[in-house]
Amino acid sequence: MTAWRFVVALVGMSAVLGSSPSAPAAQQMTEQYVPIGHSPGLSGKHTVIGKLQSVNAQEQTCAIADPTGQLNVKVTERTKIWLDRSKLQQPNVEGTFADLRPGVMVEVKPAEHPGGVGSGPAEWIKVEVSAP
Amino acid sequence: MINRAAVLCVPWILLAVVGLQACKSAPPSNPQSRLVAKGRDLFFNETFAGNGRTCGTCHPEENNFTIDPAFIARLPKDNPLFVAEFNPALKENFENPALMREFGLILENLDGFGDLRNKFVMRGVPHVLGLRTSIQSPGGPRTGWSGDGAPGDGSLRSFATGAVIQHFTKTLNRIPGKDFRLPTSDELDALEAFQLSLGRQQDLVLPLRLKGTVPKRGQEIFLDNKLGKCNLCHVNAGATANLGAGSLGNANFNTGVEDLPDQPARLTTQKVPPDDGFHTPGDGTFNVPPLVEAADSGPFFHNNAIETIEGAVAFYDGEAFNNSPAGLLLKQADPQGAGIELDGTQIVAIAAFLRVINALENIRQSIELLEASLEVPFEERGRLLARAVHETDDSIRVLKGGGLHPEAVAPLQEARRLADKAVRSVFFGRRHTKEAIGEQKKARALLVE
Repeated sequence: MTAWRFVVALVGMSAVLGSSPSAPAAQQMTEQYVPIGHSPGLSGKHTVIGKLQSVNAQEQTCAIADPTGQLNVKVTERTKIWLDRSKLQQPNVEGTFADLRPGVMVEVKPAEHPGGVGSGPAEWIKVEVSAP
Repeated sequence: MINRAAVLCVPWILLAVVGLQACKSAPPSNPQSRLVAKGRDLFFNETFAGNGRTCGTCHPEENNFTIDPAFIARLPKDNPLFVAEFNPALKENFENPALMREFGLILENLDGFGDLRNKFVMRGVPHVLGLRTSIQSPGGPRTGWSGDGAPGDGSLRSFATGAVIQHFTKTLNRIPGKDFRLPTSDELDALEAFQLSLGRQQDLVLPLRLKGTVPKRGQEIFLDNKLGKCNLCHVNAGATANLGAGSLGNANFNTGVEDLPDQPARLTTQKVPPDDGFHTPGDGTFNVPPLVEAADSGPFFHNNAIETIEGAVAFYDGEAFNNSPAGLLLKQADPQGAGIELDGTQIVAIAAFLRVINALENIRQSIELLEASLEVPFEERGRLLARAVHETDDSIRVLKGGGLHPEAVAPLQEARRLADKAVRSVFFGRRHTKEAIGEQKKARALLVE
């Protein structure tokens, strides 16, 4: 192996590592306990808060109405769904697709569209639970 | 008669002058300084209506903003660090007091709170010095040991929110408004500003013109991309990587620390699950910590696996590293197909270099603190001088621990004595402080040109 190969290999490593995660590496586990509208640096900037307009169980998608229009997102196996029960003074817990029902208040963090528009997958969805 | 009255008045006038001096406590003048001051107050005093802990509980200023078993051993039993020992609601699955006391390890539920008994990791407490130089990457900020320590947008600003949820809660229900309150937006701004103000604000530019023979050789090995290879991932002994195609910022690597045999915590009977690092589920990588601050802030690595800086350097000569993904990449890139192969003298030389740059940073901070103490009100002065004493203690300890530069240790000891005297002196504090600065500069000149 030559010095040239050494340089090429390092440049290659650099490119591989440099192209790894392109999105900020946020921690999901404590996000579960942050109530709707209070996610630091995200709520109001890179999330959409509104009522669920429709849910398509077959395609695993849902539509959220917010003041600027409608956001469509896909719920994938990587999408986290959390039930925000902070108004009931109960701990927030993990939810499922079945908890996404039209009319409920949600906060959605799109995975690939930090501007809050588009129809890509959702990174997480918080669902407000206001009655026991 | 008049003369006697005048003589009697003199002590009272002097006391009044001193008293007025002590009362002078103007708030910082510019907005950024005010924000940093507010952040400091929050960092050390705000419990966020939780279990009594503050950020400073695990990041105490007098111990380089980290904790280790020796520091922990000096704390009183009712210190909120030990909340799992006296709060019944936090007795199970919140901390492991045995591992905390013996190895300085903190419990984190990085893969979720669904199975508290089995899903957790045990991690050391990273210091928060030099954050301005160490957390940025093209992919966004990297916080904590694995780069994903903060919720929300993953920034340092958001870090406190996650820390409150994980570490400040009164019960394991973790209900906002009941078990704790979340930091407000203004508080997050202030906490971020304070943390960014700590320690180095820029990276070193290596090589330094070091005077000691062994540290100088250590620096050469550190910078040699075919021998020590340290500078590839710790450019300028900082926390950014550059493998040849430009800066990667703060990067993540799987260096095999988790594969180390005989890890101290795992030698016990306590449960210590594997730590999978970055993301959930993890990819086994951890981010690069800065090295300038290393020598006085051990134990080392995310799991406090190694106690000494020499041991931390030696890790890269071992099987765990050289068989790890990062080690194998280095091997592939090496003209001889070699990983990192160092002998005992070379390991000690690199450690000596790290000890000296750490002492230089402590001296820089000490001088900064001593100079600042000359410009602030009386009550603030004591805090700055006390910190300068701590930093000087570290300089002495770090150099002595490596048998390095005894000629510089002497002026450092004198600087410490003078700074300590300045803390207690009402009338001659400024003079002692200025003399302490002179001794610090004398010591620095013996370490580097």
